[in-house]
Amino acid sequence: MGDLRILGRVTSINMRKVLWTADLIGTEYVTELWGLPHRDPHEPEYLALNPNALVPVIIDDGFVLWESNAIMRYLADTRRSGLWPVGAKERALVDQWLTWQVAELNAQWGYAVQALMRRNPAFTDEGRIAESIRKWTAAMQILENQLIKGGGYVANHRMSIADLAVALSAHRWFSTPFEHPDFPAIRDHYEKLKATPEGQKYMSAETP
Amino acid sequence: MTITLWGRLSSCNVQKAVWALEELELPYGHVPLGGRHGGNDAPEYRALNPNGLVPTLRDGDLVVWESHAVVRYLGAEYGSGLLFPQQARDRAAADQWTDWTATTFQPAWIGLFWAKVRTPEAEQDAVAIARAHDATVRCFQLLEDRLGQSRYLGGHDFTYADIVAGVSLYRWSTMEIDRPSLPHVEAWHERLNERAAFCKAVNVPYDELVGRLAF
Repeated sequence: MGDLRILGRVTSINMRKVLWTADLIGTEYVTELWGLPHRDPHEPEYLALNPNALVPVIIDDGFVLWESNAIMRYLADTRRSGLWPVGAKERALVDQWLTWQVAELNAQWGYAVQALMRRNPAFTDEGRIAESIRKWTAAMQILENQLIKGGGYVANHRMSIADLAVALSAHRWFSTPFEHPDFPAIRDHYEKLKATPEGQKYMSAETP
Repeated sequence: MTITLWGRLSSCNVQKAVWALEELELPYGHVPLGGRHGGNDAPEYRALNPNGLVPTLRDGDLVVWESHAVVRYLGAEYGSGLLFPQQARDRAAADQWTDWTATTFQPAWIGLFWAKVRTPEAEQDAVAIARAHDATVRCFQLLEDRLGQSRYLGGHDFTYADIVAGVSLYRWSTMEIDRPSLPHVEAWHERLNERAAFCKAVNVPYDELVGRLAF
């Protein structure tokens, strides 16, 4: 493969999904720092790549792609990585949990993370904090049950791009200060991935 | 090989699965579930789909949910070259717009549909409607730009990206709202309207949802 560029900032969870995937596949790449407080993705140069003004974007030998899950699938697909199974049925289950992570899991934590982790003064409504934690916990319970069923992996009893996505979500869960119910299977999965060199790099205290 | 689909036909997420099944001319059994049919919390359904949401699809020993994973699966298994591109970059482009629909477009337009249609008139909040309308129009403007460059969302050919984004079109075009002029979106809508599978799955009256927040 030719020249791969990854644009974004490592503080973005979506950027870390893509970097982690690229590292595990072993493909070479260069990064370009985009996103606040660095270079504003609303600059015309960036908007021409991604009209949503969000990170990350990749440019693979001239091919421009955004949306982190689409990038993860594409990198694993074109570099023939086992992180994205070949069979349609196995692939469907990885895809299901990858989609669930953005649609159902990440959708719940917004208010709690703004209030408790980022200490954003616009997010102080106790009722909404409690509601966000309640829904986030319910989603994590679904993940807990799945990891028990899946023998410690999200799908097909083996590692896939969906494991990277949910581990990064678990990192956010453990990095947000509140009374966490105990989910042993999630903790084991998180610690297993965190013990890897990439896990240490992308689930550090600097990138909650 | 039998395929079963669970979910009420008035759900836009179920409509994506119906559209893909009809597009591929696959035989399937349908179990209405959710909304006025209930059943989301039944233990036997939760065993299939722990979220209790619709749709869920079973094909042989595979059970899959999340509507975008369902249409991608149907495309990969049965639709190579039909609605599932054969080249990795073409698939990636379809994926990009499919994921954008999940993260950005559908939350916006469904937000507007809830604020304007599902919320009873007496409880409607003009500020919330205006905010949802702005977010939805911004997304449609992005679709307009994209469809000015390519015939379908993923590229030259029809793909599952058109399905997941296109289920919005019946409601978008029939809600009582202001709509900017979007000639490329309208031409795309007309092209989709020529497909029998689109008409069957998407052009479905939503009377049962008007003024109802319950499901």
